[in-house]
Parts: sequence; C-alpha cells; structure tokens
Amino acid sequence: MNLIDKYVAEVGKHLPLLKGREDVEKELKSTLEDMLEDKAEQAGRPRDEAMEIELLKEYGSPQRIASSYNPHPYLIGPRMFPFFLMVLKIVLTVVIVIMLVLSSIKAVTAFPLFAADFMQVIMQGFGNALSTAIAAFGNVVIVFAILERILPEKEMGDFSNEKDWDPASLAKQPDPDMVKRGDLIVEVVFTALGLAFLNGLFNLPVFTKEFSQFIPWINAVFLGEIILDVYLLVTAKWNTPGRIAKVIIEAVGIAITVILIRTPNLTLFTNESLLNFIKISEEAGAAGLAAYYTTSITLIVILIIQGIELAKALYELLRINYRKK
Amino acid sequence: MENDELVQNMLLELRRGILSLAVLSQLGKEQYGYSLLKALSDQGMEIDQSTLYPLLRRLESQGLLQSDWRIVDEARPRRYYVISAQGKAVLTKLKKEWSAMTATITQMLS
Repeated sequence: MNLIDKYVAEVGKHLPLLKGREDVEKELKSTLEDMLEDKAEQAGRPRDEAMEIELLKEYGSPQRIASSYNPHPYLIGPRMFPFFLMVLKIVLTVVIVIMLVLSSIKAVTAFPLFAADFMQVIMQGFGNALSTAIAAFGNVVIVFAILERILPEKEMGDFSNEKDWDPASLAKQPDPDMVKRGDLIVEVVFTALGLAFLNGLFNLPVFTKEFSQFIPWINAVFLGEIILDVYLLVTAKWNTPGRIAKVIIEAVGIAITVILIRTPNLTLFTNESLLNFIKISEEAGAAGLAAYYTTSITLIVILIIQGIELAKALYELLRINYRKK
Repeated sequence: MENDELVQNMLLELRRGILSLAVLSQLGKEQYGYSLLKALSDQGMEIDQSTLYPLLRRLESQGLLQSDWRIVDEARPRRYYVISAQGKAVLTKLKKEWSAMTATITQMLS
C-alpha cells in the first residue's frame, strides 16, 4: 500500500457520508494519481515518495478533506436557529422560575428552621435551578437537532420563506386546519420537558405507592401528545385521524385525573400524617394541611383544563367532518 | 493590513455563489474532476480541490449534472461529469440573471 492509498483510506475513515463513500475514495485516488503524474512531468523525473509527500501536503489534512464532504454541517441549521433561540429563552425562563419557586416553597416549609439548614436549602435551590437549566438546554438542543433532521427541507418554508408571505393573509381568516409549526415545536419541547420534570418530581418521597401505579399511564398520555405533535409537524395539517387521536388522548387524560381524585392516600399529606404534623408543631401542621388541599385543588384545576381541551378537540373533530359533507 | 482578512472573507463569499455557475458553464462537454479544475484554472478561475469535488457531488444530487466512471486511453478509471438537461435549463436562467446583475453592479461601481 503506497502513501496515496493510505491517505485515501484515512480520508474515507473520516467521511461523514453514509452513501457514496467508495465513490469519493475512488475519485480522490484517481485525482491524486493524475496530479502526481503532472508533478513528475514538470519535474522531469519519475514519481517518488518525496513527490507523493509534497503532493499530499499540498492537498491538505485528511480530516479537512473529509469534512468538506459533509452535506449537513449543522446540528441546528440556520432555518431553525431563530426558533431555537426563541424556544430556548422561554424554556430557560420557565424552568428557572419554577425551580426557584419550588426551592422557595421548600425553604419556607422546611422544618426545623435552623439557620444552617435554611442556608443549605437555599444553596441547594440555586444549585438545582442551575443544573435543571443546563439539562433543559440539552433537551431543547436534542429536540431541535432531531427536528432538523426529520423535517423535510422544503417544508421549512413556513419559517423562513418570505416570498410566500402574502400581506393579504393578515386580513384573511386563517385555515383552521392548518398547523402552526412554531406552536407545535414549542409544544413538543414543553411536553418533553414536562415529561422529564414530572418524572423527576414523582421521585420525591411525598408520593405514595398508590400514586406511583399511575405514573406509566401519565407518561403514556404525554408520549401520545408528543407523537401526535410530531405527526402533525410532518403532515402540516389536521386531519380526521389526528383529531380522533387528540380526542382520545384528552379523554384518557381526564380518566386518569378522575381516578386520581377518587384515590385516597396519593401523597403523604394524608389525614393520618397531618395529625402527626399537628402534634409536632402547629405551623408545620398548617403547611401540611395546605399541601393536602393543594393536591386536591391542583387535580381539580387540571381536570377543568382537560375538560376544556376535550371539548375543543371534540368540536374540531365534528367540524372537520361536518365541513366534508 | 487588517482589511486584508476582511477582503479575503468577502471574496470567499462572493466566489462561493459564482462557482456553481462557473462549473455548470464548463461542463457542456464532459470532464473529469481534475481536467475541469485545470480548465477553470486556465481561464483564471482558481478553485480548491476540496471545494470542487463536494460541489460536483451536490450539483449531481440536485440533478444538474450526470456522471459515470469510465476508462479512456487505458488510463486509470475517472469519473466524468457532464451537464444534464435540467442543468442546461438552469444554466440558461442563471446566465440571464448574471448578465443583469453584472450590468447593475458595473453601473453602480462606475
């Protein structure tokens, strides 16, 4: 194996292509041989290793040559980048605010309230907010990197193609079945974050065994939502299967919430443990009582929101079929 | 001195756009990569190997070029490129745009 062959093999090793690797290698070898021949002719002597070394030096490092063939040098390309920035800003703000609020609650309800513990809770809160923000950043990058590769190039016109934009569309009623890609991407990112966040939350010791049996179901609803969103991103339009899937997801969500409300002992803030709290101190008892009601109230609020979502989904499903007739 | 680098970068951007046009224009008759490189260079359009080959691949994947491997004159196998019918149509349009653009810029710069 001479130097040129080794060089070509080295380039091939670094090629970022799946297809056509052999072609590129063959072409490179053929070119290098041609160039070497030229060199020998110019020098007026037969080719030798010194000449090969000089040629390869001129041609450049194998890594650089290989990377010039990269058809997709972006993790998140310029077409997606403005959206990425927008979503990133929202996500980071929301995540940091939530984490700080959670820490504050924890700091206020922490007992006993020794100064040292209090400081520790606050420092931990900042630490958690920072690490959650970094994790959220990573998640957003991953979601966008995947979308960058899933979404067909032409379809991205909605984001960046100014030519298609018609000022008259400002006055026109938007097509109710058109999917707003920006909204969907935001939704996918937040659902994915919510999924990660909730599963982190579920590990807190306040939740009981009764609650943990629901976790797979809750995750299934979230995953269903994400899958539906990605499907819509690809189809770009609502259709009957999409609407039906939406109704089913909302209905399952409501079913889970209803069962949750009817299940006692979801969290440790039950009557029994409340009695213990009250025995320890009155303030702690009040905090526990608040937490107990918070669980029920949260569930009821979630139920109301889900009810509205289901009604909207049903309405859209009926409308889509009504219009077809 | 520091302007040199700026000028180099801007030149690079200017050239990036017109290289496709230059390559398409020279592939009316078939050429392999290295001969195309020399043909371009002979006419004053220097282009780096590491730019030309990926560009040829891209133009081919866009359907503007066709290529096949051949052995001519008992030399080593070479990949010959030639402009496709679609490429010709695109080139005609680009040529028109190019003349209009150069006319405008020439007028602006005079």
